[in-house]
Amino acid sequence: MRNSMKGLVKALALGLAAACSLAAISGASAEELSLKGKRIGVSAIGTDHYWDLMAFKGIQDRVKELGGEVIALDAGRKDQQQIAQLQTLIAQKPDAIIEQLGNLEVLNPWLQKIRDAGIPLFTVDTATPHAINNTTSNNYNIGAEIALQMVADMGGKGNVLVFNGFYSVPVCKIRYDQLKYVLTSFPDVKIVEPELRDVIPNTVQSAYSNVTDMLTKSPEKGSIGAVWACWDVPQIGATQAVEAAGRNEVKTYGIDGSPEVIKMVMDPKSSAGAVAAQQPYEIGKTSVDNAAKYLAGQKVPPFTFVPSVLINKENAAEKGKPFLDAAEKAGVK
Amino acid sequence: MSASVLHSEVGVSDEKQAAAKSAGRRFGALVVRLGAIAAFAAIMAYFVIFAPGFTSTFNLINVVEQSAILGVLAYGMTSVIIGGGSDVTEGGIDLSIAANMGLCAAVYATLLSMGYGDFLSVLAAIAVGIAVGALNALAVVGLGILPLLATLAVLNVAAGMELTLTQNTVVGASSPLLGVLVSGSFLGISALAWALIVFSAIMIVIVHGTSFGLRLYAAGGHPEAARAAGISVPFYVSFTYVLSGFCAAVASILTVSRLSASTPGSGELLLSVLAAALLGTVFSRRFVPTMGGTLLSVLFIGLLANGFQLLNVSSYWVNGVQGALILLVVAITSFARGSEGSR
Repeated sequence: MRNSMKGLVKALALGLAAACSLAAISGASAEELSLKGKRIGVSAIGTDHYWDLMAFKGIQDRVKELGGEVIALDAGRKDQQQIAQLQTLIAQKPDAIIEQLGNLEVLNPWLQKIRDAGIPLFTVDTATPHAINNTTSNNYNIGAEIALQMVADMGGKGNVLVFNGFYSVPVCKIRYDQLKYVLTSFPDVKIVEPELRDVIPNTVQSAYSNVTDMLTKSPEKGSIGAVWACWDVPQIGATQAVEAAGRNEVKTYGIDGSPEVIKMVMDPKSSAGAVAAQQPYEIGKTSVDNAAKYLAGQKVPPFTFVPSVLINKENAAEKGKPFLDAAEKAGVK
Repeated sequence: MSASVLHSEVGVSDEKQAAAKSAGRRFGALVVRLGAIAAFAAIMAYFVIFAPGFTSTFNLINVVEQSAILGVLAYGMTSVIIGGGSDVTEGGIDLSIAANMGLCAAVYATLLSMGYGDFLSVLAAIAVGIAVGALNALAVVGLGILPLLATLAVLNVAAGMELTLTQNTVVGASSPLLGVLVSGSFLGISALAWALIVFSAIMIVIVHGTSFGLRLYAAGGHPEAARAAGISVPFYVSFTYVLSGFCAAVASILTVSRLSASTPGSGELLLSVLAAALLGTVFSRRFVPTMGGTLLSVLFIGLLANGFQLLNVSSYWVNGVQGALILLVVAITSFARGSEGSR
């Protein structure tokens, strides 16, 4: 087990190095990128979480940096509003549209309409056949890594509480499917049925009460080993609930790397076991670079992965700090 | 404005003072009402001049289409306010309407995804909408609970049932009817826009063109007088809540067509629905809700979001402007009520 973890870390390090050198290469050509005289429409389902806000900010900052005009639309977590905004946006005929997150089932027909109108579509964290490029983290890796970390911490056996309220969001689907795939190799790790539902809004409060209820239902120590969520806002509520119940044997796992969760993982006494930290601001910026390249007639791959880092109890002190610094620099807490 | 008028009247004999007060109020209300309409007009004029593409037919049809769901819901709310009286605290109000729409949408999408056809699924959605409306009617008319509280309770019932049904997830749906609503068009106007046009025409004819509508206004405006004239007030009030439930069901089908799914969070629409129904009163000289006024304010709310986006002004402003207008309208209606001398 330890060996496989080591191998994983090594592979991760290699991947990071490769990504960094890639970034360096693309950085050189980025010098010539320009969006002068271009209008870029940006549609986000919401910006009420750290990840969303950072990516949304990254997109806007980069468009302005490249001399373009940005039409920034935040739907405030309302599907109706996002659809109305996209519909009006299509009529505005921008040079490109960048779409960030949301329910794919709701979005897909409208993303199709964007393409039908001849507007190049780029997405952030949203895998859809209609996009020219989707810029995201390698969620296949992230999903497997966080699942493996959890299994390792559990010693290969025990029960897991899983939040699965957002299977309709593509990145959550990938991470959840990866969790399930990893667990096929560890039959002694079992997901407690029925699964829990994470919600928006009131994510933290709802996760807190869900986990509290489940801990009350299984009062013996060791009956539950871990809590998993496809993002890290439910992880906050779950961690607080575990600590309030005095059930320190339960560890929590999530994905995104919101500053407060990274701080929890850095705290040796906290029940937050690990978090896969992404670089949402970089992801937003990179999607704009892709759009600029495409508009300049360059070839753009169907997806771009921005490196992420698994922050666990062992490496938190060292790996967590750069992420906290980045958050502080962007002025988002 | 009217405050200064009132202050200058201090010391005049009681009768004169009351008359002057009433005249002052009426004048003040008129000024504020015209002011509100002028503000509406000014905002529109600004958009026409400065927002690129605002007046294009394509854009305007888009706005009508975007307003369809809000419009159908606002008609339900307006009918409840007409039938129950427009007193903000004790009059008719249906806080459950948006949650009811969410429940109907969930029922419709769930049945479709289970393989039941359009006919049965639409029928079920409408039955659920009407049932929730009937529950409101029972609570308000049968049990005599304040509409504000009764419909708030029903809101929670409907929202809870929706959550139980969907587990707070997105339920995808497709069907021939949805296909027509999504991509159908006639005379260059999309199906969803037609839905609003036809529904508006029906509501305006029923409420403003029939004796039924007249009695409905009587039941809400002067319940005692209506009762004396032999009108069954409880029947009319009950009817408005059931109608409101029906509107929620119709809106739910439009929503599912627009989102290709039933999604959580329909309750968010409540504020806009209330805003539309309340703002609509500005377009009536007696500050009563009218279907035409509601239509105008629904379109205004749609145009506001649209114009801001075309001007590249942050959408966050839309909420602020909407809130400010609601405040203005509530102020106007309280002025108006003062001038009528009721209560």
